[in-house]
Amino acid sequence: MRFSTYILRNMLGRRARTTLTVLGLAVGIAAVMVLTGIAWGFERSFQAIYPAKGVDLIVVRAGIGNQLSSNLNVNIGETIRGVSGVLDLAPSLMDTVSFEDANLVAVLASGWVPESILFRGLRILDGRTLKTGDGRVTLLGRVLALNLGKKMGDMLSVAGETFEVVGIFETESLFENGGLIMPIQELQKMMGRGGQVTGFVVAAVNSGDAESLRALGKRIEAKVPGVAALPTREYIAADLQIRLSKSMAWATMAVALVLGSVGMLNTMVMAVFERTGEIGLLRALGWRRSRILALILGEAIGLGLLGVVVGSAFAWIGIRLLLLSPNARGFVDPQLPPSIYGIGLVMGAVLSLLGGLYPAIRAASLEPTEALRHD
Amino acid sequence: MTEFILRGEALTRTFPDGDVRALRGVSIQVQAGESLAIMGASGSGKTTLLHLLGGLDRPTSGEVFFEGKPLAGLNIDAFRARQLGFVFQSFHLIGTLSAVENVQIPMFESDLSRKARENRALSLLDDVGLAHRVNQRTTRLSVGERQRVAIARALANQPKLILADEPTGNLDSQNQAEVLTLLARLRQQHGLTLIMVTHSPEVAASADRVIIMKDGLIVNT
Repeated sequence: MRFSTYILRNMLGRRARTTLTVLGLAVGIAAVMVLTGIAWGFERSFQAIYPAKGVDLIVVRAGIGNQLSSNLNVNIGETIRGVSGVLDLAPSLMDTVSFEDANLVAVLASGWVPESILFRGLRILDGRTLKTGDGRVTLLGRVLALNLGKKMGDMLSVAGETFEVVGIFETESLFENGGLIMPIQELQKMMGRGGQVTGFVVAAVNSGDAESLRALGKRIEAKVPGVAALPTREYIAADLQIRLSKSMAWATMAVALVLGSVGMLNTMVMAVFERTGEIGLLRALGWRRSRILALILGEAIGLGLLGVVVGSAFAWIGIRLLLLSPNARGFVDPQLPPSIYGIGLVMGAVLSLLGGLYPAIRAASLEPTEALRHD
Repeated sequence: MTEFILRGEALTRTFPDGDVRALRGVSIQVQAGESLAIMGASGSGKTTLLHLLGGLDRPTSGEVFFEGKPLAGLNIDAFRARQLGFVFQSFHLIGTLSAVENVQIPMFESDLSRKARENRALSLLDDVGLAHRVNQRTTRLSVGERQRVAIARALANQPKLILADEPTGNLDSQNQAEVLTLLARLRQQHGLTLIMVTHSPEVAASADRVIIMKDGLIVNT
């Protein structure tokens, strides 16, 4: 018999307790993995928007908490275009709209200038793209079209105004695929934001050089007071939604760690209490305190590892269920890369140590006669 | 001069809760290869004495010597693992393990490989007549069989001493007779010293020497 066999037998010998503990750990680990997966997918989807368009800098109002609330005069675009190092730029107005009949809220609506650099990387799956002179027309992202059940040529009511769907598109970004695009002046009218834009996307002459981009950003900020010109990576990292989703994942991890370690502590304290006589016997037979410590910690680690395996399975299933839900489809793109399985594994190890160490030390400190009397 | 394998000098043991004086200055010598029975009424201090002799507990005053060396100067875990085998009245077998696995438990503190541990456990179970029950969980064995597994476990690390606390206390007369015969055979076969705590006159009669305790003192030997 191996030492590990003894540990395994102890776990299998108390199946109800083992199952309940593993389930408790698995739920906590799965919750953390899913939320981290959502945050990771969220950032990845955002990151995918700009490289495909050749965009290097984003110019928004300085000091705002939520990028969507940025409000700039469209005319400053010409000033920015005159800054040395700017290759091209395009204004963009972003807002959110709802389609309550389809139970869709906070759908991204983008107002773009037809034929601008923002249309790079857009693949038209059906119909056509926007062109100069277009009026009440819209392009629907593939996921939004699916969720709304709309196709090219259909009419669509957006915030009380009727638009003709002239095309269905797909990009690398889930947010764009779950949103719609219309001519910028139509969105400005609809939202009562005439002459206003959310910001500008800028393509730089030296697009690959991070230092040059930062320097260009500084020049734009100097030229146009009150704006922040950020390289796309920094702009995305500062995005409120991404920061919120990451914060939620961290907060869930903290709660799961506390609850999970209390659960593990309870299980292992009970295990030591129930088996005081057995531990006394092992001490009487000459087992060293370190071996008793290894036995109890081994059980805690075994439970933690089982929690990781079951929790990973729960997370995998949870993410698939999330993707099937109409409420989530098109808005979240959760991913489970190996690093997130790594987070689950680290969590399992931390829970095992937090919950197993005290009972293990307590078991190892038992005197044989005291423990044998317990029976 | 006679060589004693185990010797206790002026042993006292007071338990702090209730200020109970379980032993009040007991001296005892045990010769190598001897079979000794300790008798006495409940509360006379015989189990406390056995625990002190086996290093399971420490005396309040006095000293225990093993082969002339004080236990206080030995690695007590290693002493219990390599020199002693314990047999308890309530067997103290681990219910989640099979008979052969229970016998291997003390051998985790030896240098034997996994295969060697298993072979030795199988051989010991064969020795106590349980070759056909090796893979049974101990909860499925009869009380007589359980005590035989416990005896096989006590021999796992080839100890010099066996300490038995009421080894037949939970057995019927037939099983008691079988266990006593087994202990006698194994003692001879392995050259063991056997110390038994018992209430049973039959068990005492099987020993080379009997000591009687009363109120924490040896009153007759």
